[in-house]
Amino acid sequence: MPYKLFEVDKEIPDREKHVYVKDSADPVEHIPKCNTTTIPGCMTERGCSFAGIRGVIGGAIKDVVHIVHAPVGCTTNSSGSKRYPTSPDLPNGDKVPVENFNLKYCMGTDLKESDVVFGGMKKLRQSILEAAKEFPFVGAIYTYATCTTGLIGDDMDAVAKQLSEELGKDVVAFNVPGFSGPTQSKGHHEGNITFFNRLVGTKEPPETTPYDVNLIGEYNIDGDNWILEPYLKEIGINILSRFTGDSSHDEICWMHRAKLSLVRCQRSANYIADLIEEKYGIPYIKVDFFGPKYCAENLMAVAKYFGLEENAKKLIERKMKEIQPELDFYKEKLQGKKVWMFSGGPKNWHFPEPLKEELGMETVAVSTMFEHEDGYEKIKARVGEETVIIDDPNSLEFEEILEVYKPDIILSGVKEKYKAHKFGVPGILIHSYENGPYIGFEGFLNLARDIYAAIYSPVWNMIEFEEELEESEEEVIE
Amino acid sequence: MSCANVIKKERTSVINPLVTCQPMGAMYAVTGIRRGLPLVHGAQGCSTFVRYAFARHFREPSEIAVTSLHEDAAVFGGRRNLISGIGNLAMRFKPSLIGAISTCSSEIIGDDMDGFIKVAKKEMKERMGEEEAEKVKIVPISTPSFVETHFKGYDNAIKALVDNLARDPGESNDKVNIIPGIVSPGDIREIKHILALMGIEGLFLTDISDPFDSPLRPSATEMKPFYPKGGTTVEEICDTSNSLGTISLCGYAGSGAVSLEKKYDVPAAVGPIPIGVQNTDQFLRNLKKFTGLEIPDAILDERGLLIDSMADIASRYLFGRKVAVFGDPAISSGIARFVSELGMIPSVVCTGVESPEFVEEMKKVAKESDEPVDVLIRSDLRDLETHLQENPVDLMIGHSDGRLFAKSLDIPLIRVGFPVYDRVGYHRVPVVGYNGGVNLMDRITNTVFEKCYDDNEYWKLQQ
Repeated sequence: MPYKLFEVDKEIPDREKHVYVKDSADPVEHIPKCNTTTIPGCMTERGCSFAGIRGVIGGAIKDVVHIVHAPVGCTTNSSGSKRYPTSPDLPNGDKVPVENFNLKYCMGTDLKESDVVFGGMKKLRQSILEAAKEFPFVGAIYTYATCTTGLIGDDMDAVAKQLSEELGKDVVAFNVPGFSGPTQSKGHHEGNITFFNRLVGTKEPPETTPYDVNLIGEYNIDGDNWILEPYLKEIGINILSRFTGDSSHDEICWMHRAKLSLVRCQRSANYIADLIEEKYGIPYIKVDFFGPKYCAENLMAVAKYFGLEENAKKLIERKMKEIQPELDFYKEKLQGKKVWMFSGGPKNWHFPEPLKEELGMETVAVSTMFEHEDGYEKIKARVGEETVIIDDPNSLEFEEILEVYKPDIILSGVKEKYKAHKFGVPGILIHSYENGPYIGFEGFLNLARDIYAAIYSPVWNMIEFEEELEESEEEVIE
Repeated sequence: MSCANVIKKERTSVINPLVTCQPMGAMYAVTGIRRGLPLVHGAQGCSTFVRYAFARHFREPSEIAVTSLHEDAAVFGGRRNLISGIGNLAMRFKPSLIGAISTCSSEIIGDDMDGFIKVAKKEMKERMGEEEAEKVKIVPISTPSFVETHFKGYDNAIKALVDNLARDPGESNDKVNIIPGIVSPGDIREIKHILALMGIEGLFLTDISDPFDSPLRPSATEMKPFYPKGGTTVEEICDTSNSLGTISLCGYAGSGAVSLEKKYDVPAAVGPIPIGVQNTDQFLRNLKKFTGLEIPDAILDERGLLIDSMADIASRYLFGRKVAVFGDPAISSGIARFVSELGMIPSVVCTGVESPEFVEEMKKVAKESDEPVDVLIRSDLRDLETHLQENPVDLMIGHSDGRLFAKSLDIPLIRVGFPVYDRVGYHRVPVVGYNGGVNLMDRITNTVFEKCYDDNEYWKLQQ
């Protein structure tokens, strides 16, 4: 039986289809049921589609005021929850005058009861005008719908269109209320479409080169971008547009002028790469820079497209030489340790192989919050036999997984980390990272170091109070 | 001339809010119940964002369920989601209480939560059997996100709990009800410490101190599912009608106390939060009034220790320094009063709510400190930032959301309240009571040392 019903799920048997135990003899289509709504009354780790567009994609852009059209909570909650730093540099040589502007300020329309009754468009309009006045230096103003906007039926596009003309600056409305779609993934998807329809092709870059790429689906978590960009630069490749880590608004508008798109997060950003290819004929390649082996392979693939293989080869050789000794140390320490990998989506198929190959670690369980069929197929292809793959695990399953699969560490988000600790299992952050960046060659060392530090922290040996010490232990202490 | 200059935000929009929406306050309150589970009737983000906020502040798990409202619910209503959500939660987690918390979506689509809960109870009986189903209390808590703030949500939750659970009074239990408000585990533990010295048993409505600061002892964990240690039992909440009185520490959290007074003649005292000398004195007088007990020497000694350290330090290092206080209206007003007791000038106090009581308290502070106080109400951090650009201060006291402004204004920030996520341990250290006063004053003074002496006048710190 490829599917598994956890003990704790006997009251909600529908969960059986969401839990798959890998067996290579199974037909390919055997994967967990996914991208469906969470069963009510569960403690899910999922966010909403508003979180997907505001939190993941839109909010990373540095020279934009982000206005949440909602009662105050959605504004408060959606700020400071992502770690995507920005540099002040803009493509035209200017600088954003406020350091980490997108992280420092969050804005909202603060909808009240009367707005719910009479509509919130007036307030939205007013708020956009206030944003333009308060932060005159910004390149654009983005506004985000929420459950309330969706339910009261505000026509945000109309307001955005009118004010774009009035202010002479792009005002963009993202219409993805929190309740739309089963997960935050819906927000990524709709966000991609809005970015494409509304912005791509509306501006021209100051200059172009024959080596221009769009770096898509890279959000600069903990500075990932700042590891990748120097690699590409050294090879001779120029990043014309970033989508959207450390990006400026204008870069999105000229994505149609690149020669190639590279898609890093293949869950949240395939859509825009597809649309750009379809309309402008710009091909894309899916890339994976997690772990030295994938990083090397993919840098070579990108370099090959431009005929720059020699440069890539040199870079890879140098980097591998730099990291190998430390990598060997971590491999010796982490050999045989068991991992539960719990990310939003793609990191679950990025990491099992590098963890096995480079560090000797075994992935015993994989779970995701918002993965779709294509992602689960990749996960299935890359994990070992009998690995359990769980779609949208809930809180009780969490406890059962720890008990049954006995991982030595969980790679997850902050909510799960602290719960794992209560069961005596170390956890590190894979969404926003512990001490990242985690991408590329030196980034993988950061990950290895964080895993090592978590597993080897002396605290895990002291959990139980021992009434009497074993003799051999006493000797050690003496 | 001393006065409170009340300044309201002129903008329509909010930039860097000092408040969040009602449901969060209700989730906070329900987490303080032993085997109590919040069930948020809304979209997944409504529970996830709050769980995230709690996890990063307390560095603890936070178990909150959600009914997962989606498009179909937006069109046809969330009836099925709430009913099956309650049933699934009850069957799988065997909680003692489910707090069914509404959100903007469920309020706008007009879900009849009370009616749905009746059906849910019926279905639970069919699924679990009558006896098991009876063990799970279900309390509807109305928290429309577009009305007021998380402080109101907390208040609504406490009121819903006593209104639904407090039973007809019998014999007195000789206890005093305490409604803590949105304070830290360390604060609640300090209040318990004071009550213990007084010889009073407290009944906390509700008690997040252990659930949000619980020991890592896997083998000692009770049988699954995992529930954190501690919290107020449902039985205790039922018993609140038999108490000697109710003290609500925070001014915004008094509805439950007033309700107990009206219905069951349990006398109520609402605020002020016992931060600093005079507010803590008032708290003790309230305890004395309700119980008839004398204030013991042990407490007066603790008071004396605070007074002693103030006498040693305040006039030399703190006197006349200007402070900006922001955040929670109760905590901010307590801190404003305390810093003025220290001889400092609370020159601006900023909060996200519009509250006449808060303004009254600030008038009192202005009078006591004999200095004008700018009172920013219904305000946000952007307003505070622009205000401070024109009217600089020596120190800021508030939560972590002010950290970037403090940095760009080059004003040291002393972290207090919720959320504090860029420093560790502050949820464990009390600011209430005389001991909390010592902690807070030490923290303020050490910050003044770093800011004003360490670089250029370090020799002054040798005695």
